[in-house]
Amino acid sequence: MAVLQMQKISIYALKKNRKEILEYLQLRGAVEIIDSNAKGNVFHKADVQQQRAKIERNIDQIRKALEILSQCTNYKSGPLSTFQGRSPMEFREYRNAEETIPQYEEAAYNINELDRKIAENKAELQRLHTQIDALSPWLSLDISMRTKGTKYTRVFIGSVPEERTLEQILSDLAQAAPKVKNVYAEILSTSADQTCLFVLCGRKDAEVVEYALRGIGFSYPSSPAENLPQEQCVQLRERAEQVQKEIDSAYQKIKSYADDRMALEFLLDHEVMRAERNEVLGRLLQSRRTFVLTGYVPQRDVDNLAKTLSEKYGVVAEVEDLTEKDDPPVLLENNAFAAPMEPVLESYSMPGRGEVDPCTVMAMFYYVLFGLMLSDAVYGLIMVVGCGVLLKKFRNMESGMRKTLQMFLYSGISTMFWGVMFGSYFGDVVDVVSSTFLGKEVTIPPVWFVPVNEPMRLLVFSFLLGILHLFAGLAMKMYQLCKAKQYKDALYDVVFWYMLVGGGIIYLLTMEMVVSMLGIGFQLPAVVGNVAAVIAGIGAVGIVFTAGRESRNPFKRLLKGLYGLYNISGYLSDILSYSRLLALGLATGVIASVFNQMGSMAGGGVVGAIVFILVFVIGHTLNIGINVLGAYVHTNRLQYVEFFGKFFEGGGRKFNPFSAKTKYYKIKEEN
Amino acid sequence: MDINNLGVAMALLGAASAALLAGIGSAIGVGMSGEAAAGVVTEDPGKFGKVLVLQLLPGTQGIYGLLIAFITLSNIGILGGSSDVSFAQGVMYFFACLPMGLVGLWSARRQAMASVASIGLVAKRPDQFGKAMIFPAMVETYAVLALLVSLLAVSNISKIAI
Repeated sequence: MAVLQMQKISIYALKKNRKEILEYLQLRGAVEIIDSNAKGNVFHKADVQQQRAKIERNIDQIRKALEILSQCTNYKSGPLSTFQGRSPMEFREYRNAEETIPQYEEAAYNINELDRKIAENKAELQRLHTQIDALSPWLSLDISMRTKGTKYTRVFIGSVPEERTLEQILSDLAQAAPKVKNVYAEILSTSADQTCLFVLCGRKDAEVVEYALRGIGFSYPSSPAENLPQEQCVQLRERAEQVQKEIDSAYQKIKSYADDRMALEFLLDHEVMRAERNEVLGRLLQSRRTFVLTGYVPQRDVDNLAKTLSEKYGVVAEVEDLTEKDDPPVLLENNAFAAPMEPVLESYSMPGRGEVDPCTVMAMFYYVLFGLMLSDAVYGLIMVVGCGVLLKKFRNMESGMRKTLQMFLYSGISTMFWGVMFGSYFGDVVDVVSSTFLGKEVTIPPVWFVPVNEPMRLLVFSFLLGILHLFAGLAMKMYQLCKAKQYKDALYDVVFWYMLVGGGIIYLLTMEMVVSMLGIGFQLPAVVGNVAAVIAGIGAVGIVFTAGRESRNPFKRLLKGLYGLYNISGYLSDILSYSRLLALGLATGVIASVFNQMGSMAGGGVVGAIVFILVFVIGHTLNIGINVLGAYVHTNRLQYVEFFGKFFEGGGRKFNPFSAKTKYYKIKEEN
Repeated sequence: MDINNLGVAMALLGAASAALLAGIGSAIGVGMSGEAAAGVVTEDPGKFGKVLVLQLLPGTQGIYGLLIAFITLSNIGILGGSSDVSFAQGVMYFFACLPMGLVGLWSARRQAMASVASIGLVAKRPDQFGKAMIFPAMVETYAVLALLVSLLAVSNISKIAI
């Protein structure tokens, strides 16, 4: 219902209780710490940098260990894990679990080490395979690759580029060294880009032959092995096998930690909490034996908090009301009907200073507008059932997610309502199925009317709803101004506009042209029109004289007043903007019937039924997705632009208490 | 040849251009914003849901085009029923479809540019998602207005006997 009143609490305590007090405050999550500057030389702030770096290293290590564990054990969190939320944990359990921390810190360390080892071994394996590959062209060689020759002979072992035959090589050699008679050459292997050679010649011809070989691009292998290529290859393979075994065993060892996942998750949460406490510690004012902590607390919690703290830890807690200088954060509290609006409001902005919480009024319109844009009874039912099941199944869901789902649930109910009003059930599926497969057309009649047949009627209704919405926004402004005791502003900025816009609309309804165009069944008598025109006129004159009231110069004031009156065009475009209710509402129904019609094109019978079911399932899934998105975006737009434009500026800061921002466990406070 | 035979052809030209132009606009738009969205997801896969919403915003014009095309097709009897459309009516259908087609084409592209910018906004400041969504949605207003004009025109032409 409202923005909660904040108060300021100052806690004076002994340093020996510091850890317990901080822990208590963190789990309680009710205080937003204020930074205060040290005055004089009694109090100072502690330097926590070193500690922080250490904790962050820990957090990194644990996070990485969890990641490695997930990879090695194929742990997947499932598509619904977003809704899961944190598991609750009693304070006693938390204390017990803390005892086991050193053991699991070691586990995290080991997992990281094993992972490093795996990475190293994989690199080694890669190197071994490269070596084996490099050896493969030489396997047919049955002497060492380093052989240089005997007493009277010289041996060349190496390769020339490109694929060559023995004849080619021999003829090349004969050409380059015509005087050399005795050259023996053998091709060890050929491939597209190289030919491996064994060449033998007399020692006295060695230089000439070598020169000739160089001439055809001969080169020695880059790392010839001492052993026979065959043997070398076997050795490398053995080594590779061993490395592979080491990798496997390291994987096995990591897998053996699978049962420690929960403990590691707890450890991560624990360290994250420690990091936050450490951060707060750096912001506290501390003397040799005492420390001071100041913060904002919601008024509803403050007495209880102060009492518990002084009873448990003997602190002195001082509560003060806020002054003008304070910049309190904003915390909202709403009933079940309006609370789902909080995330929507939050993604715009929190209420600024002196602004009211608009959630309740927003909620009344939000669900209606959303439902009108989607307006299909079965789509609504699907939303209600889907959200309902999720809400029921995941009890520990985070509150933001819970509120969003509740928002879709309520919007789904409204969608069902409008679907029944407009006679839309999966579009016109009943008509199509009955006429295609049963041979007799059955229609579920709408409770109100069918929008495709009477779009004008829905358009008028949309405008009406829009005017109500805008007037509600103006009413909010009036309420805000009256609350701030600015009654004159309320008259100038709200009442005059009510008179002008309201009077103008009523006057339009007395004109025959407008009435026949909109297709409304009644026409107001001319007397009413005259009264309305007078009221609108008074409003207009009032606006001209007051809209520029900040300016002292009378001429400027009048000009500003006239400009203020020009805002009437803003109202016109605001009202026209609500035509999107019609557009989106029709879009859902028409696309649904397009899919139904496509499905029925294969005719009746078994084949027709199969085609129909396929088209039906795919088409309507797509349609729900697109139109829920459209309805969501455009409902938000109507709220943010048209409705908020009338009274809400925002700019508040969300209450961000010192709390346990954990990921896996929600630890309950001690009681 | 009776010129009234061309009525239904003119009307079909209108229906086709509504679906065609608006569809092209949306395809370009969703493609553009999809590229930007994919870029954000490479950096932070957690933003997928948010950028997906922004990517899809320029997609509605295509749907509106389809809507107008479909209503036209069913009014002129192409989807069954009698196709009794005079030449004047056919021309009227054609003109009635134009706002949706042309505004759909242009607004989808412009909306996509706003979407791309908003995707950049969400990449840097994910907490401002609500506002990021509004900027492209502002452009959509004009597609909605065009839809409205086309819709009112298309659904009333058959009542005019010329």
